[in-house]
Amino acid sequence: MSKLVWLCYFISLYSFAHPVIYKDGTVVSSSNMPSYSDNQVMYSWSNRWSSGINHWRFTKGKNNTDMGFLKLNHLLYRYNGDDSQANFYVHGGVGIADSEIERRQTNEAFMTGAEGDWETRTLYTSLKHYYFTSPQVTDLAMTQARVGFAPYEAEFEQIQTWFMLQAMYMPDVESEVIITPLLRFFYKNVLWELGSSTRAEWMINVMVHY
Amino acid sequence: MKKTLILALLVLSPTIFAKEIKVNVQGMICSLCSQGVQKKLSKVPGVIKSAFQLGKKEGDVKILPSVVITTEGDNDLDDKFINKLINEAGYNVASIERK
Ligand SMILES: [Cu+2]
Repeated sequence: MSKLVWLCYFISLYSFAHPVIYKDGTVVSSSNMPSYSDNQVMYSWSNRWSSGINHWRFTKGKNNTDMGFLKLNHLLYRYNGDDSQANFYVHGGVGIADSEIERRQTNEAFMTGAEGDWETRTLYTSLKHYYFTSPQVTDLAMTQARVGFAPYEAEFEQIQTWFMLQAMYMPDVESEVIITPLLRFFYKNVLWELGSSTRAEWMINVMVHY
Repeated sequence: MKKTLILALLVLSPTIFAKEIKVNVQGMICSLCSQGVQKKLSKVPGVIKSAFQLGKKEGDVKILPSVVITTEGDNDLDDKFINKLINEAGYNVASIERK
């Protein structure tokens, strides 16, 4: 077990639901599975708003749909409790889409989404929904839910470990819900996750706060 | 001799006159949360160090997450400044203790 954990520490890399962080903070994140990848750089110009660039790739069979956006994120609600935190974010983006699924073409694209999370030092839940549309290319929806628990409470300078279960539904890409158990780690400003779905699809995510 | 004394005083003064301010923070539940606060504090003139303690329970007593800010004696960060800094990082100040 400890060998596996150490292996994960070193080879795995990912992303927390933190689209808006502290004022003047920057988040770089990359989330990857065989059916999609989501890469972004977001700058928080206040503790409520951030903006940046976001690239998505959806893979259906051998065909990719790429979308690039200028994205705006807003932390609509934050609850700061004594030992818990809850957040609700909304997102919007404009950009371009390039798809091979029907026939290769590039067109304008839009995205919108919402996500919420609630966490304590040992429990975690989140739910997010995104909708992508490029009127002449494709429409895509994605819903993701997570639950997790931490087996111990790490100190400030220690590595924190989480066990999580992710359910993701992208009906336009995969007909089934993808269930992925994963391990999340974070140390100071770096967070990484490694998982494998019940159908043995890998997942690697990494996120860094600057 | 006099010179040495002045020099020693100059070198030691930040530690002799250093002050500690303990800020209890709501919502700062992990090290990732604390990063923003730490980054902001590192840019404040006169702040020598910031030490973070995440929240915990001792028996039935809840201990809030906190940061202990050590400043050079002459830089006494006022409550308003501390509140603004913690809010910009995304959290709330529960209380401030000065020693
Ligand atoms: Cu946190």
